[in-house]
Amino acid sequence: MDLMQSEDQDAIQETVRSFLSDRLPLDRTRVLAAQFTTTEGAGEPAAIWRDAGSLGFFGLGLPQERGGAGFSVTEEMILLQEIGRVLAPGPWLGSVVAAGIAADEGERAAIVAGERPCALVAVASGDRFEVSGTEASGSLARVADAGFAQALLVRAGDGWYYVRRGDDWRVEAGRSLDPMRPLASLSFAGAECSEVASGAAAERLDDRVTALSCAEAIGGIESTVNMSVEYCKVRTQFGKPIGSFQAVKHRCADMAVRAEVARSATIYAVVSLRDAAADAAHHVAVAKLMCGDAYLKNGADNIQNHGGMGFTWECDAHLYMKRAHSFDLTFGARPAQLDTLVREMRAL
Amino acid sequence: MDLKFSAEEERFRGEAREWLESNGPSADQRGEEPRQRAEFDRQWQRTMFDAGWAGINWPAEYGGRGASLMEQLIWYEEFARAEVPDPTTLFVGLKHGGPTLIACGSDEQKAFHLPKILSGEVVWCQGFSEPGAGSDLAGLQTRATIDGDDLVVTGQKIWTSFGDIAEYQELLVRTDPDAPRHKGISWVICPMDAAGIDIRPIRTIAGHEEFCEVFYDEVRIPRANIVGPMNEGWKVAMSTLSFERGTAFLAEQVRLARLVDELVEVARRTPLETSSQRAMALEDDEIARRLAQNRAEVEALRAMTYRSVSRTARTGMPSSEASLIRLFFSELQQRVCALAMDILGSRILDWEGQSDAHPERGTWVFHYLLSFSATIAAGTKEIQRNIIGERILGLPR
Repeated sequence: MDLMQSEDQDAIQETVRSFLSDRLPLDRTRVLAAQFTTTEGAGEPAAIWRDAGSLGFFGLGLPQERGGAGFSVTEEMILLQEIGRVLAPGPWLGSVVAAGIAADEGERAAIVAGERPCALVAVASGDRFEVSGTEASGSLARVADAGFAQALLVRAGDGWYYVRRGDDWRVEAGRSLDPMRPLASLSFAGAECSEVASGAAAERLDDRVTALSCAEAIGGIESTVNMSVEYCKVRTQFGKPIGSFQAVKHRCADMAVRAEVARSATIYAVVSLRDAAADAAHHVAVAKLMCGDAYLKNGADNIQNHGGMGFTWECDAHLYMKRAHSFDLTFGARPAQLDTLVREMRAL
Repeated sequence: MDLKFSAEEERFRGEAREWLESNGPSADQRGEEPRQRAEFDRQWQRTMFDAGWAGINWPAEYGGRGASLMEQLIWYEEFARAEVPDPTTLFVGLKHGGPTLIACGSDEQKAFHLPKILSGEVVWCQGFSEPGAGSDLAGLQTRATIDGDDLVVTGQKIWTSFGDIAEYQELLVRTDPDAPRHKGISWVICPMDAAGIDIRPIRTIAGHEEFCEVFYDEVRIPRANIVGPMNEGWKVAMSTLSFERGTAFLAEQVRLARLVDELVEVARRTPLETSSQRAMALEDDEIARRLAQNRAEVEALRAMTYRSVSRTARTGMPSSEASLIRLFFSELQQRVCALAMDILGSRILDWEGQSDAHPERGTWVFHYLLSFSATIAAGTKEIQRNIIGERILGLPR
């Protein structure tokens, strides 16, 4: 039993962190994020995507004979944790998941190479998604990275579908709460579509997607702690660093506890998934709940710790707080996770 | 990253489980009265000692099992799963006094005391806190002057668990009042039958006498009972902290998980007073969500503990995350107990005290009242937050 990172995982973490620090640092991506909503194919997002592909990011969890690095969901967790740490824009989660599930070899190769960014969306009430044979049409209100995406993984009805971008692909960017994950409405028709999972397999894919979303969240949750601690060490008032005042110190301590709770629950869930444990889905629900609680509270506490500055657009704190909301509301918000756990508990 | 244990470790688990199932006494036999419990605990410890299971984390050269970190974790999990009682009367000797002697004691002190502690022959108690020195332990005032081969001790200690039962006490005294506060303290083995010691039990909010005040009026203790150098007692006391590897915490986690599962069953069969249809508490969505939240948090606690032990296995050092886990655990325990009160409703008002035999109310009200100490004893939650802020996060004092 060992829940610490291995040397391989440390190396992956370092590679990803260094790539992101070089190509997608938060001070630049504040501006760049919008391009992922609107830009197709060319420009900086596309170059970054291809370079990430050639570094093997998207195929981390794929077997080597399928063009991957031969690792598993635990290493994908390491990648996504770093993505979440700096709120890196782009359909990272969708592309990683699509690499593993795309039925077509050519598609998979393109995804792994960073040529086929794949966004991820669950059909919501009010959306339209229709599959007829090998074609799909739809109208979806809230899609992240809709402009940049060359493919879409859609959770609809009983299944998951892989949709290739065709000529008929209309993106209308609106305003979004989460500036680092701007949403757009997307409508398309006549798009090539195949069902990649249904029934129980679709539920297993739900768990994988949710767990990797938690992986992203724990990176962001840690950032809220680090941001607060660093600020509280340097900001002085009344002749002392504010971190020496107990109210502030204790708030930071509580943030650290939540981060450790969320991280531990997520690692447990991801390892359970990797090992196909019978209760993996349960641990994923626990992780999603713990991460939701932690991210929302830490996002708020990080703003508070920054005082007046925390209330400004310029300070990064609001970006993490807003991401906490978009994280919580995707793939089952806290009440939904609690209801799942309640149902299980009542049936014991 | 792995959740699985090795084949050897699983064999060890099987061995532990089998032994505990065959030899572990039932908690029913332990009784309520402290002296009765002390006798039970001594016998149970003796049974473990004779079978080679005592001192799971004590070095083999001192009679312990010398088990690996993972084996310790497994032992504590199995111990809690077997629902055998923890010999809590012996906790000071087994977890503090003994480990301190192992780290800092002389050969004579080790040879004399360790076998008696490990076999359950003697009970130890702790004389650290004073009315004026709780969180600020270094402010202790109990004075020891030197008179020939003896220390002469005058002062007072408080919160001494089992003070009225113990044979020995790990006692912190001020031997040099002129030195800086942390530097004039000595750690002394005090025989509790020495002349001049007056022991008075203290009643807790749960109505029972859990611990004592101890008064010292010119009590003579041989200087040979000082552990480590004179005036180095603070360092000696801190040495115990480096002994604890976080593995014993698994027993706490398993017990809390059991407690929550029991509470689910209570909720399943207890009508909720506030429900207009007299529905069972478990059918109420708010109660059910709070229960499910607590269950999820208990599982997260297990993951945290596994991670902490993994870290210790890697670094060889006690995990600094232990404070995080302790804090989260103690507050979670309080939430669970408070939820039990909401499930039971006005039934709790009829509580008859520790002897209350009502199946639901008796235990749960008692647990609830005890739980107030979870964020006070062994480091208040305020101190834990200071430790986390300063030592883990590096925030300034």
